[in-house]
Amino acid sequence: MSALNVRPLFAVPFGEARLAPCERLNHELEALFLQRETEEHRNPSPSHIPQAETFESRFNLFRWSEPCVQELRRFMLDAVARMVIETTTLRAEDIARLKFHNHTWFHISRHAGSFIAHNHPLASWSAVYCVRAGESVPGQPDSGVLKFLDTRQGADAYIDPANATLQRAYALRAFEMQLTAGQLVVFPSYVFHEVAPFYGRDTRITVATNCWFD
Amino acid sequence: MMLTPPLVVPILATPFGVVPLPEAAAGNAALATLFVARMRTDPRPTGQDPHCYRSGDDLLDWPEPAVRQAGAAILRGVCAVVREVNELPEAQLTALAVQARGWFTVVAPNGRVPAANYPLTAWCGVYCVAAPEASATRADSGVLRLYESRLGTMFADASTAAMRKPYTPGHYGWRPVPGQLAVFPASLTHEIALLKAATPLVLVTVRVRFVAPGQLGLARW
Repeated sequence: MSALNVRPLFAVPFGEARLAPCERLNHELEALFLQRETEEHRNPSPSHIPQAETFESRFNLFRWSEPCVQELRRFMLDAVARMVIETTTLRAEDIARLKFHNHTWFHISRHAGSFIAHNHPLASWSAVYCVRAGESVPGQPDSGVLKFLDTRQGADAYIDPANATLQRAYALRAFEMQLTAGQLVVFPSYVFHEVAPFYGRDTRITVATNCWFD
Repeated sequence: MMLTPPLVVPILATPFGVVPLPEAAAGNAALATLFVARMRTDPRPTGQDPHCYRSGDDLLDWPEPAVRQAGAAILRGVCAVVREVNELPEAQLTALAVQARGWFTVVAPNGRVPAANYPLTAWCGVYCVAAPEASATRADSGVLRLYESRLGTMFADASTAAMRKPYTPGHYGWRPVPGQLAVFPASLTHEIALLKAATPLVLVTVRVRFVAPGQLGLARW
C-alpha cells in the first residue's frame, strides 16, 4: 500500500509569539492600567453584560501616547502583520499599502472575573497579550483559561474509540491556553473564545486587539 | 400604494421547550436535602471545580423515591417536547425505547458549569431543583446559556444587530426556575453562567436518546 498522506483541512490559523524580556514593559503597563482603572477610561458601551470583577477599558488604548503603550502596540500589530503574511498570499509590501485599523483595550480581572464566549464581527484578526497572568490556583487548572471553541460545530456528534483521542490539531474539543506574562496569541476574529473565571487573589491583566484592513 | 405585509417565518430553528413539572417540584426540598447529603459523602472527583459539584451520571438509577419521581417526570417532560416538535405518528413514538443518563449539579456562588454538548445524544434536559434570587447587578447570573449555533454570525451591521427574538443574533439565556424543565437538542453547546448569589443553584441534567425497535449503530455511553 502506498503511503497515506494526511493533512488538515478547514484549519484555523493560530499564532503565538513571546515578548522577551517582558518584565519591564509589563510592570509599566500594569502600573498604568491600574492607575487608569477609572470611570473615565471604562468602556462606555460594552457589548456584553458588564461585571464588577472585570474592568474593560475604552477601545482606544493604542492611541495613548505613553511609551510603554506604543512599545506594546508595535509588538502586537507587528505580530498581526506577520500572521497575515504567514497565512495569506500577501507580502510585506502588500500589507504596507493597506490601511491597518485596530480597536484595542485592556482587561483587569479579579476574583471570579470572566468573559463569556464571543467573537468579533467586522474584524479579520484578533490578538491577546498577557501583561499579568495572575495567581495560579491549586486544584483549579481552568482558572483564567483562554478557551477557543471548536469551529466545527456538530463534528463531535458521533464519538467512538476511533475518534475520541484525535491528535491535538484534529481533536474534537475546545483549545485551551493558560496565558503567561509576555505571551501573545493571534487568531481569526470569527473564532468564538471565552475567559474562564479567574480565581486568583490578585489580578489578571490582558490587552486585546481587533484588527481590520482596507 | 399599500405594501402587503411580508410573511416572515423562522426557518432552520432550534427547538427549545420549557415544561413545568409540578409532580417533580413537590419533591424539590427532598431532592435538595438528598443532594447536599450525597455531596458530603461522595468524594468529589479529582480535578473537579470546587465551585461546582457534579454527581455521577447514574442519578436516574437511584432508588430514593424523590429521585424516582423527579426522574420519571423529567423524562415525561422531555418526551412531551419531542412529541411536540416531531411528525412521527404517536404509535411510532411510543414504540421508541428511551435511553437516558442523568446527574445533579450544585453550582456554588462564583461557580459555573463550563460549556458542553453531548455526543451520541439527541436531547438535553435541565431541571431546576433550587435557584437563588436573580442578581440585581448581574443580569446573566446562573442562566442556562445556549450558544449561538447559526452559521453566518460573523458579519453585522445596524440592521442585523438588534433583531427581535427568535432572530436575535448571539446566545440565548434562560433563567432556571424551580420546578421547570428546559429541553433542547443535545448538540447545542450550553453552559450555566457564573452564579452571583448567596445560595447555590441546584440542577438535574439528563441526556436522552430514543432507540427504535431493532435499531443498531448507537454506541454505548
